[in-house]
Amino acid sequence: MNRLILSCLAFATATLLTAQPSFEAPPPPTAPVQDAGQRHEAYLKRVDEVLDWRAGRIDITQPDKHLDMAAIAVLLTRGEHYDVCSQRVIEMMKDPGTGPFWMFPAVCVAYTGRDKLTPEAQKAIREAWRTTRQLRGDTENHWLMYYASLYLMAELYPNEPAETWYSGKSSAENLAESREYLVHWMDELTTSVGQGEYNPSHYIGEYAIPMLFMATWAKDPEMKIRGRMMLDWLFAELAANTLNGVLRGPNSRTDEGSVIERWNALSSYFSWLLFGNTPPTGGYGGWGVYFAPVAKNYTVPEVIYRIATDRSGDYVQRDRARTRRYWRYSDVLSPPVYKINYLRRDYAVGSIQGIVNDAIQGHAWDVTWAEPDPRGKHNTMFSLHPHSSMRAMQSQFATYPEAMITAVTFEGKPSYDSPDKVVGASSYEKIFQDLDTVIALYDIAPGTRFEHINGFFSKDLVNVTEDPSGWIFAQGGRTYLAYRPLAPYHWIPYLHYNGGWAKEKLPLGGRLLVSPHLKNGTIVQAASVDEFADFAAFQAAIKALPLKYSLEPKPTVTMKTLRGKQVTFTYGQTPVVDGTPLDYSKWKLFEGPYLNAEVGGRKMTITHGRLQRILDFNTLTITDHVAKSPTGPYQNRLNSGHAETGPCLAFS
Amino acid sequence: MNPTSRRLALLALAVLPALTAGCVSPGHDLYLFGSLNPKGRVAGARDTALNGVYRRADDGSFQHLGINYPAMLAGSFDPRDSRVFYVATINGVLCTRDGGRTWRIGTSWDMTEPKGVMVDPNAPDTIYAALPDGLGISTDRGQTWTRRENGLPARGKYTQVVTVDRTKAGRVLAGCETGIYLTENAAQSWRAVLTTKETVNDIQQSPHDPKFWLAATQSAGVLASRDGGLTWQRIPGLSAEHAHYNIAFDPTHPQRIALGGWTYGLLTSEDGGATWTDRNAGLPAKHRVWRTAIDPDTGRLYAAVESEALYISDDFGRTWQNGGMTGARIQSFAFVPKAAK
Repeated sequence: MNRLILSCLAFATATLLTAQPSFEAPPPPTAPVQDAGQRHEAYLKRVDEVLDWRAGRIDITQPDKHLDMAAIAVLLTRGEHYDVCSQRVIEMMKDPGTGPFWMFPAVCVAYTGRDKLTPEAQKAIREAWRTTRQLRGDTENHWLMYYASLYLMAELYPNEPAETWYSGKSSAENLAESREYLVHWMDELTTSVGQGEYNPSHYIGEYAIPMLFMATWAKDPEMKIRGRMMLDWLFAELAANTLNGVLRGPNSRTDEGSVIERWNALSSYFSWLLFGNTPPTGGYGGWGVYFAPVAKNYTVPEVIYRIATDRSGDYVQRDRARTRRYWRYSDVLSPPVYKINYLRRDYAVGSIQGIVNDAIQGHAWDVTWAEPDPRGKHNTMFSLHPHSSMRAMQSQFATYPEAMITAVTFEGKPSYDSPDKVVGASSYEKIFQDLDTVIALYDIAPGTRFEHINGFFSKDLVNVTEDPSGWIFAQGGRTYLAYRPLAPYHWIPYLHYNGGWAKEKLPLGGRLLVSPHLKNGTIVQAASVDEFADFAAFQAAIKALPLKYSLEPKPTVTMKTLRGKQVTFTYGQTPVVDGTPLDYSKWKLFEGPYLNAEVGGRKMTITHGRLQRILDFNTLTITDHVAKSPTGPYQNRLNSGHAETGPCLAFS
Repeated sequence: MNPTSRRLALLALAVLPALTAGCVSPGHDLYLFGSLNPKGRVAGARDTALNGVYRRADDGSFQHLGINYPAMLAGSFDPRDSRVFYVATINGVLCTRDGGRTWRIGTSWDMTEPKGVMVDPNAPDTIYAALPDGLGISTDRGQTWTRRENGLPARGKYTQVVTVDRTKAGRVLAGCETGIYLTENAAQSWRAVLTTKETVNDIQQSPHDPKFWLAATQSAGVLASRDGGLTWQRIPGLSAEHAHYNIAFDPTHPQRIALGGWTYGLLTSEDGGATWTDRNAGLPAKHRVWRTAIDPDTGRLYAAVESEALYISDDFGRTWQNGGMTGARIQSFAFVPKAAK
């Protein structure tokens, strides 16, 4: 009886504690918290919320069911149940995983438990790193997790011989190889030519968590500060590309859930945790829990916090990145990606130039609008060519042609070969953006799988109007939208894969505009409802703009944008804005009012108002400045309270 | 042995029906490199099957050897000691010196995902690796690796296969995205001997005539060379529409050749490549042959049908029987002389 009562009590307690307060609560205010002390206190409270939630899900009497590595790391951090954790670690290490997604959780447990787990449990962890082959994987995030984990374990167990490591290399060799790659990734890639996995909706965790571990646990002061600086770098980019905490614009890699419901991404968990300006995702992002045990060792710099929470002025952030590696069918291993995000209080417009950055998971452009509560809202509009291609697979994977397409649909990307998909990159799409105008042109080769384009029309749009002019008008939140298909189309219901491993499509609402024409195009323009007397006025303004287009021999658009730009864009040719060809060669690594960096510079300047932080990987220094008065090339424009409305800098 | 390993070992034994004991090669050990759970696997997952290296036992069954490793693509053995062998894996080139008990990743972070590896039989301290971005070489038995790509194109050097000429040390043919490249000085310099638009998937040297080579390609059909790989001519009668994956010469019969691939399945020739016959009858309906091989002692023909099983034929493809390895993707075969131990 006593056992029954205890079990009931434990269950009730667990149920009570499994609440996710911020996930279930109304959305938090988006205005910045001015007081630094209050800000920090709120941050610590959010960290504790994650720890409390994860701890509350644990029934300690059933460790085999309730204690995974995240739970163990949380308990160890909270100073609870060391003996149970130790025993469970011993059990788990008998059957370890085999790759970076196992490695970094194991590192988290190894370090949080290094003075708390029993010697037997610590020995079991160590033994797993001898016996079990760890796969390095084939993506940028795989490698970062792999080498950050191996680095930290080699530091934790120094001076041990080759036969005590799965790699067959000594601690010193593992350390040297890991360090060499990590420095290469930071110095030669990310801070010089940009990330391949830029603006990832989920994979940000796979970067931020290992970097937090390095910043916290690395013994080598160089690697420690590198971890810290990379965290600032990653979160600065996140801050500058979010609106109310929700990541906007193009993504190197994403999935159906995050493309349609923009908030529903691990990036939102980090916005919540660091900036407090959006709700966290369910389960605190899953992997996000691994950030929490160590999160109190990091405080986001105020300058980054300010960037994330200040949308008082419109701005353009224009950056360079690179594609995933092209093993074949390209003159360049990782061609440059030119991305642009235009953020305003009510909406954001973002794009890349039209390149296959990641064939399966790329997302090239969209217009997304702000929602007071973004949960469950499909606050986006875009089009794409749903391309499925063995050649594309072979270009980015070391594989035979035939097997790969089937394989990816088994590996968390079920939609890749679906004609109605909404994620994925196509080599037949070229994109131009100027502020809140996007022109996407398509010239699909006959016989391509598939021979149409999809335009996404959300369930959350209102007043969708197919105007006789050819424009489709709609309103999302406080944003007026104008969508112009350049070829005939029909509608089908949008069916949604609810996550990467989903097997069934769900009718969540919304429609796809399907245009089954090889030569094709989409024009989208956006404006805030504040800019027009009413919806009709917006429509009239759009219709009054000169627009000429043709689809033969190549799709071509010549138009005046809502912002008064004269644009000519032909598929495969350099766009021309007000008579000036766009010059990508001048594109910097980061360029905008907040983030600036030169290609090859290994240095980012982060600016907001009077605050400035410089991350210099050449000297491994973090330098903070407080200006006596706001300075910088963008500051006057910001002070004026309105965006740049002239040509994008690289165009002028 | 941990619980999963125990479970998997039992599973492997259960799913591997013994081959006829009398058919086991007397002179060679047969090693397979592949995985039993190729679908649905992501990095970090626990493996639900034993993967990596399998060796044929004396009773004809296949026994898993050493580590459970799901992404082993090809292997090559030191002719002086078969306990020393090298495996192309997703992590790079692994080396064992004790028959698979212990391993070392010889390559570093700057070489990844080799598709092929081969020891130079006349200079066995030297090993070549086919990389997705070129070619790696080790001259110290796989301990350290470097690139030797002088003469390879800056781009277009995705390398699927590297094959060493058994008659001359340092003479190597590499099958790349843009064709076949030859070195005659241990990769100090390379020159193109065949230009293709897409990848050369396999290059094999006849065991009967060292000047006779065949190359299987993705979109240029199958090509033959009668002058040691200097010049190549397309073999008529074999389609170039879809990829051919690999070639096997029959060491027991100079006129017999087998050809495997996803689309065409298993084709054989019994007249030195002049004519070819479809030998898919008796294979699964989806006869996606990932790899084919021929036993150097018995002439037994193997067809590794992707995610189905290993099929064997003792009449050169006229009839087939299931040889076990259910569900496997066998990436490559290696027949190793037993005397090499």
